Amino acid sequence: MALDRFEWLGRLARRLPDDCLVMSTYIGAVSFEWANHTEEHHRTAHLGQMGDVIGMAVGLALALPHRRIVALDGDGSVLMELGQLVAMGEHRPDNLVVFVVDNGVYESIGWSGRGRRPTATAGRVDLAAVAAGCGVPHTADVADDEHLDAEIDLAFSRRVCSFVNVRTAPGRSHVRPRRTDGIEDKYRFVRYVERLENIWVTGVPPQDIALMEDRKS
Amino acid sequence: MALTTAALDAAHQGLKAAGIDFVSGLPDGWQRNLHERVEFDPDIRYVPVCNEGVGFSICAGAWLGGRKPALVMENSGLRVASEYIARISLGTGVPVTLVCSYRGDVGETEHWGIPHGIVAEPLLGALRIKYLVVRQVSELAPSIVRAKRTAEAQLHPTAVLVSGDCVWED
Repeated sequence: MALDRFEWLGRLARRLPDDCLVMSTYIGAVSFEWANHTEEHHRTAHLGQMGDVIGMAVGLALALPHRRIVALDGDGSVLMELGQLVAMGEHRPDNLVVFVVDNGVYESIGWSGRGRRPTATAGRVDLAAVAAGCGVPHTADVADDEHLDAEIDLAFSRRVCSFVNVRTAPGRSHVRPRRTDGIEDKYRFVRYVERLENIWVTGVPPQDIALMEDRKS
Repeated sequence: MALTTAALDAAHQGLKAAGIDFVSGLPDGWQRNLHERVEFDPDIRYVPVCNEGVGFSICAGAWLGGRKPALVMENSGLRVASEYIARISLGTGVPVTLVCSYRGDVGETEHWGIPHGIVAEPLLGALRIKYLVVRQVSELAPSIVRAKRTAEAQLHPTAVLVSGDCVWED
């Protein structure tokens, strides 16, 4: 049994706490459907690409340890850089929960007469087991609604570095592709973080400008 | 072989003067003592990794959260990180200061370091990364400060390649 991607992403979006930040993929069905469910809210960074979503989420989680961070990734992307799981297991940010859309295929590349191209998770690779082997404190491999709901409960009710692999049915997205590029997505997210955390990410902070003026005078 | 004592102090001082508060990277023979120094600096969050590409992604995420990151690595790590530098920084505009051992520079004693030296500068050019080659200890700290300043200004990585008198006392 495998879950419907659009449906379960919607369920996760509806239960997402208001004060949490999300690191998502940049293009592809996960990004497009998540943006559809969240109405392109600015607290999701649609900045991750193949092999770097979890790494960026680890960095964000370590930078903002008081803030809950959710990462959305795909099986092909996780498989491209398993070293991300090593970093996640080694540094174990307790404010980070990773949800993986594991549909066992390279969906975004399309397919021809011989069907979709499988990822290694369609064979013998178990990503939750890999994450556990890397030292991630909580891992789960879910394939039904009840188990997924339980993992969403855990994700938002406690602070434990977690990796949740969600066995998902293949299927093309039926929502419109997102129109923004990485530059616009970055500024939207960064400006949101600056307001949320009362910090400056880009440019020179006001206190440093004052310091420079003092030095000049 | 590692950074000389004077170069180690200069590199550490440069990171701090630049406002770097987050360092990731993979230790190498030349800069292993800088990793050891940074690990115990209370003002710097040190995040060692097993591969420089992951280190770059982590630095990028940390920058999005308001930190000022540097990636400390051998120049061979540039090749590993280049995929993520291209995806993240060329596509999105995220600044990370790269502090790289310049293996294969003139003076190299190890045959395996030569390919690292052949690839490093052309690769930086391909990734549109401005860089400084530092062979004098006195230039190391200010070069790190300037590299970080320009990375923040252009929202793209800059690099400092460390070699010469910073590692060899011949």
